[in-house]
Amino acid sequence: MTQIKSDHWASKVGVILAVAGSAVGLGNFLRFPGQVAQNGGGVFMIPYFIAFLLIGIPLGWAEWTMGKRGGQAGYNSAPGIMGYIAGLQKRSGKGWRFAGALGVLIPVMVYMYYVLIEGWCLAYAWGYLSGALNLGADANQYTAKSGDFFANITGIASDGDAVSGDNASGLAFWGVVFGLNFFLIYRGLTKGIEAFCKWAIPLMSILALVVLVRVLTLGTPNPDLPDHNVINGLGAMWNPRGTGGGSAFEALLNPQVWLAATGQIFFSLSVGFGVIINYASYLRRKDDVVLSGLTASSTNGFFEVCLGGLITIPAAFIFLGPEAAGQGTFGMGFVALPAVFAHMPAGQIFGFLWFFMLFLAAITSSLSMLQPAIAFLEEGFGLKRPQSVALLSMITLSGSGFILFFSKDLMALDTIDFWVGTFLIFVLGMLQIILFGWVWGAKEGVAYANEGAALKLPKLFIFLMRYVSPAYLLVIFVLWCYKQLPDYAKTMMKGGVPFYSMLFIGACLSALFVSVFIAGKRWDREPPHVPEDVTS
Amino acid sequence: MTTGGWISMIFSLTTMIALVTFSFYKVLFDDKGGEG
Repeated sequence: MTQIKSDHWASKVGVILAVAGSAVGLGNFLRFPGQVAQNGGGVFMIPYFIAFLLIGIPLGWAEWTMGKRGGQAGYNSAPGIMGYIAGLQKRSGKGWRFAGALGVLIPVMVYMYYVLIEGWCLAYAWGYLSGALNLGADANQYTAKSGDFFANITGIASDGDAVSGDNASGLAFWGVVFGLNFFLIYRGLTKGIEAFCKWAIPLMSILALVVLVRVLTLGTPNPDLPDHNVINGLGAMWNPRGTGGGSAFEALLNPQVWLAATGQIFFSLSVGFGVIINYASYLRRKDDVVLSGLTASSTNGFFEVCLGGLITIPAAFIFLGPEAAGQGTFGMGFVALPAVFAHMPAGQIFGFLWFFMLFLAAITSSLSMLQPAIAFLEEGFGLKRPQSVALLSMITLSGSGFILFFSKDLMALDTIDFWVGTFLIFVLGMLQIILFGWVWGAKEGVAYANEGAALKLPKLFIFLMRYVSPAYLLVIFVLWCYKQLPDYAKTMMKGGVPFYSMLFIGACLSALFVSVFIAGKRWDREPPHVPEDVTS
Repeated sequence: MTTGGWISMIFSLTTMIALVTFSFYKVLFDDKGGEG
């Protein structure tokens, strides 16, 4: 038998905070408010909550349950777990191992660009602390200077800029966060990920609450612009309104609004990402998955709705006006908000608190992206922790270096984010819900989820997870493909960096398929050892 | 801020706060399931 290390969570709160930390990221604070403001305001929240109930929570529970079931058989990686789950009802589930390869590819490739963004957050926090990010006294220049700072950190002007001597600060922060991630991963599940998330998530909450109180007490900072006040800022976020000139009711019937709301839930909760299935595999047999899954999902929702929903858009509206609400994630987060902090009394302090909070949100997410691959290398090839960490650091260093170098217009980052961080997540999410509801069987899956559960899933969820969630996800996926794929496919066909990025993705996927094939031979020959402390 | 804005904001905030409070209460003080 393959001797693998018995690794499991030290406490229930630890695993919940680790999963919540994985889910809470920049999307909660920057993407969510922009999506609400651009897609009907308060109207957006109706499809948002429906998607939360019908897709987010059920798919999360499916991943938690399959992960725990696979862990009981000694598997911690998505290829091993998904192959094992499929084999529970069929003669062989070996084909599903290759579907599980996506559960390793997605987090690793997302890590390659996410660690860059994490470095920007730390660079901004340090910029406020050191005074390097001081936009001066001329309010008319705030946005331009903020844009210059962003261009300098990211090297967005041309390829190679981010690694040139003139822009060494961005490179330095990338190196720092890269090293910090691998240091924590090297320390292991409990001493690294769990210990870090146990203090990082509460600290993140406190920092976000401090900034929230500051924003909600801004009043009307400019008497010459009495309409630019907190209440109207909240209205810019929450007022129900039409999209494209229609009424609020028409917005509710607009497929684009439903697509945006469902996409936000799907990407925000880290479902279909390969992380939850891996984290849940470190649970013991008697551990609960239903309440833990619900708690992690609601923690993510709390950060998104109660903190992200009250800070970003109102602050931007008060100082920059209604047009600030229409910006994308990077424009809002790294250009508009620094201009907002420059306007704000004690803005240097609040700017630091905000970007350090974003850095914590980012690192608790990026840590979770490494563990699935570490698990695969260790159980698939019998590597020890130092070897798996060294190998993964070299792989991710080369990929992250590729994205760092091809920095012009963030083209490599955008291409990999679209195909891996969006398209493949939809694909893996679909495969996982089919595996749970149809291959393993929703009835068996729900019964297993209820073993040791602090909350029991009602029988209604069997129907929901077999029919409603897959159908809803499929409709959204087809609509999304219809709307998004043609433009990205055209861009890719033009050649250049998008084409190279696709080649890079293809090469990684091919290498992973070969690795899964080799690991599968090993598992067939020597099934993983099941540690007693996991099954007890 | 319109009446609809207040309603959507308060509904969204209270729903999420209630959900996170309920689930953390069950985890910390009323957990009948297994403990890791």
